Amino acid sequence: MAWWTWLVVAVAVLVAAVLLALAVQARRRSGTVVAVRHGRRSGGKGVR
Amino acid sequence: MNELMAARSLTTRPVVTLGGDAVAQVKDTVFDAEAGRITGFTLSGRGLLSGPLRQSLPWSAVHALGHDAVVIRDRRELADTAAVVARREAAQGRVLGARVLTDAGADVGTVLDVVVEGGDSGRVVGFRVAASKDLAPGSRRRRRQVYVPRGETLAVSGRALVMPADAVRHVVGGLAELAALTGGGPGRRSGPESGEGPLS
Repeated sequence: MAWWTWLVVAVAVLVAAVLLALAVQARRRSGTVVAVRHGRRSGGKGVR
Repeated sequence: MNELMAARSLTTRPVVTLGGDAVAQVKDTVFDAEAGRITGFTLSGRGLLSGPLRQSLPWSAVHALGHDAVVIRDRRELADTAAVVARREAAQGRVLGARVLTDAGADVGTVLDVVVEGGDSGRVVGFRVAASKDLAPGSRRRRRQVYVPRGETLAVSGRALVMPADAVRHVVGGLAELAALTGGGPGRRSGPESGEGPLS
């Protein structure tokens, strides 16, 4: 294959990796609304 | 009269100290279903690459919940995340998308958002609901959104919100009507007949 074919493949892989990383990051930072029954908690394992 | 705002819109709202330091941004809004009050927020970092923080913001540390920022007294009042919500509770208590049912078992719709009062009250005043076919006939696209005052609800969980069957009569069509019912002020960007505005 011609050298530029590898270049195109490398760029495509790089772009896909960046998009995947951004999607994962957006999901990590996305929020929601949570209802709890007894107000504040003093124990348990927290949300990450 | 405090401004009403959508809990979903609080996500990514900056958390700022009275000294002017932006210390985090809001991730999840946590409220006590029985008391109808916000109990705190989980947080994420401010940078593009930062993720959820180990610390959370209990409501007791909030000075004011504003339209553009959550103001806290001091960053030292941030607490461990478990102090606001445990992981298991967070997984089970997700309200958005929960079904709204009457105590007679009729489907009213699904929860789109939770309406809270700004300022220092942290009061949960109602829910924005995508009305079911029975409540608002028509195609799904044209079906309207309605507001359910929290006072009419019997129970709130991650699975369902239950309200008395006769409370369907108290469902209102817009944020301004909900504000009139509950004593809050409609959102800053909403019009007088708004069912959209800041809550869309």
